[in-house]
Amino acid sequence: MMSVFGLLGHGFAVAATPTNLFFCLVGAVCGTLIGVLPGLGPVATISLLLPATFALDPTAAIIMLSGIYYGAQYGGSTTAILVNIPGESTSVVTAIDGYKMAQQGRAGEALAIAAIGSFIAGCFGTVVIALLGPPLALMTQRFASPDYFSLMVLGLVSAVVLANGSVFRAISMIFLGLLLGMVGMDINTGEARMTFGFVELSDGIDFVALVMGLFGVAEVISNLEDVSVRIVNHTRVGSIWPSFRVLKGAWGAVMRGTLLGTVFGILPGGGATMASFSAYALEKRIAKDPSRFGKGAIEGVAGPESANNAAAQTSFVPLLTMGIPTSATMALMVGALTLHGIAPGPMIISRQPDLFWGLIASMFLGNVMLVIINLPMIGIWVRLLAVPYRVLYLIICVVCAIGVYSVNNSSFDVYLTIGFTLLGYVLRKLHAEPAPLLMGFVLGPMVEENFRRSLITSHGDPMIFLQRPISFALLLLSVALLISMVMPSISRRREEVFQE
Amino acid sequence: MKRLVVAAFSLWVAMGFTVASAEEWPTKTIRLVVPYAPGGYTDAVARITANYLEKALGQTVIVDNRAGGGGIVGTDLIAKLPGDGYSLCVCSVGAISISPVAQGVQYDPLKDFKPISIVSTIPQTVIVNPSLPIKSIQDLVSYAKDHPGQLNFGSSGAGGLMYFSVALFQARTGTKMTHVPFKGGSPATAAVVSGEVNLAFTNMTDALPQMEANTVRALAVTSTQRSEFAPQLPTIAETVLPGYSAESWNGILAPASTPDAIIDKLSGVFKKMAADPDVQKSMAIAGASTVFTTPAEYRSRIAQELEQWRSLLKEIADKKT
Repeated sequence: MMSVFGLLGHGFAVAATPTNLFFCLVGAVCGTLIGVLPGLGPVATISLLLPATFALDPTAAIIMLSGIYYGAQYGGSTTAILVNIPGESTSVVTAIDGYKMAQQGRAGEALAIAAIGSFIAGCFGTVVIALLGPPLALMTQRFASPDYFSLMVLGLVSAVVLANGSVFRAISMIFLGLLLGMVGMDINTGEARMTFGFVELSDGIDFVALVMGLFGVAEVISNLEDVSVRIVNHTRVGSIWPSFRVLKGAWGAVMRGTLLGTVFGILPGGGATMASFSAYALEKRIAKDPSRFGKGAIEGVAGPESANNAAAQTSFVPLLTMGIPTSATMALMVGALTLHGIAPGPMIISRQPDLFWGLIASMFLGNVMLVIINLPMIGIWVRLLAVPYRVLYLIICVVCAIGVYSVNNSSFDVYLTIGFTLLGYVLRKLHAEPAPLLMGFVLGPMVEENFRRSLITSHGDPMIFLQRPISFALLLLSVALLISMVMPSISRRREEVFQE
Repeated sequence: MKRLVVAAFSLWVAMGFTVASAEEWPTKTIRLVVPYAPGGYTDAVARITANYLEKALGQTVIVDNRAGGGGIVGTDLIAKLPGDGYSLCVCSVGAISISPVAQGVQYDPLKDFKPISIVSTIPQTVIVNPSLPIKSIQDLVSYAKDHPGQLNFGSSGAGGLMYFSVALFQARTGTKMTHVPFKGGSPATAAVVSGEVNLAFTNMTDALPQMEANTVRALAVTSTQRSEFAPQLPTIAETVLPGYSAESWNGILAPASTPDAIIDKLSGVFKKMAADPDVQKSMAIAGASTVFTTPAEYRSRIAQELEQWRSLLKEIADKKT
């Protein structure tokens, strides 16, 4: 039995062949590009490039496709920060403070922190796969439906923390999100819910269509309406390199985000998205002055961006160690491996050591390439803000439309985006933030699915949520968080009463 | 580049001769609609088929993924397209034989399509968590009879073959197990591995890697014949339920208005394709057996399957009342 380092050394020998290095670079560059383009995600890109990999050796193919996936997490923050349009679902929360930083002329700083945080998180995530992959995968096997349910409840409770304004509006937005998440086929009965006869809605509302409408195009409309915002945008660009003070401020957030992302990535179901949301909520929760958030706090960029990259890396663990895909992208990886004649399963590490260790080594190399590609690009991206808005907004709209269409090759999704743009605009006018809505939309269906499945397996006994230790601990944490959120407002109200 | 030139040229040709007769078909790019996401099992079958058709017909064949609703969205799309021989569907058992019975769809699987040929089949495998004292399919039946409602089986959702094959098994053996639906076949298989559910009738492709690693115990296959990929496994039909059949297939269908001459020509191509060693090899990698059926055989198989599931649903509904 070779040591992990011996095996990793062998992996580097595999990954560093000119062919594999080349495809790693191709993947990293493609990933960065599609990450930057809003709506165009890794799933659509990987499926587009999948047939092109048939001629390649399986290891080279999987190295390239993986590069696209984690590369997209680097690029996703760019448009989120510059123009408030998240390139990927995982960058939704990055936009909250990142965009505010850009408006204050600190776009370069935000982009640099995002890239550095992503690099640190990406490398850490890779180390975790190499050292702890198989035992971690076994750990996730202990997670059953009741535990997922309680985890999602914790997520919903912490979604309230995302809000910057009124708690009432945040809760309303979460519920609106839950409602939107209900649309589609009920897996327990096969019945269509709230689809109004549209077969296109039978899988539910597409996440990309929702995000592009609520954030992307709605943002464009309010920018066109309010001239002052745009002027701030391209008159002050600011220094590209973050000062030592900023780096010091972001350091803790990067570390916490990395750890959180590493854990969430291993768990099935929206791992990376959930990781970035939770990282933001955590940073805001532990900050000495939470009011800075939503106004350009560097931790609000550093935490989520580190979290989504760490999660992107560790989401390979269940696939590579158990053969179980945990997201749409990982399911595509299974497809890619299968088409190359490799059955992803528990035996993959021992049967295909070249592939496994080569892929892990390529992740290190890929992360180094990505930080080298991304840091100098910041100057170019920032200059993008100097493009007159009358040109820029057209480009944004066209790219959003292409991105939304590319997900399912469906023009229906483009119409949906138009609908959600109107909703997003109305919500803006009501000063209701869309981030908690998205959290409800993402978590709602998972809460329902796991809740119902838990009760089926327990034959209707709700005590299952309290009997399982993981589930019990998570529910306890949710209650504690809820109390800590309600308490200040109660005591504040008391103070107000006493003042009167 | 070559494909682009061919595509541009064929577009030009198509515009020049708007009424191309069936003898000249095909004169332009053919679209092969796949009602499932890229990278999946049906997508793999479609890409192998597209590759062969391009060589055999001398025209570009594009794979167009239209995923959604367990295949309903893409299948519905092809039902509404003009039948000119340039739009074909790589459909599957779920959207053609099950969904129309299980949840109601806007197309009629027999009236809105002309079936051409099944190109591949794949059996389901009965897998159980290895901690259970169930070593054979006979054990499963007697255990389920002794412990009614206590065994949990995972499925890909209420409208899929993974549920229907177990429902048929229960109805014929007189057993009762608890249905636990998941979002897709892969998480359901994973739940058998982790022990969250006790068993599942899962796709052979998903089951094989877990069988090799002994993380699940395989008991039988659901097809009428044993599988070439796991010949040691008996069929349900030869052991406990003669005549039992629940097999996943992928086949090519065209919109109902497609001329018969084109259907015949394609049928000839698929007959040759099924005998092609390269195709057989690629299909085997994807976990599928290469198959050919005549349009008539295919049509009667769909009708037979629709009848099987329809009467099963009626039987279940009657039992409840």
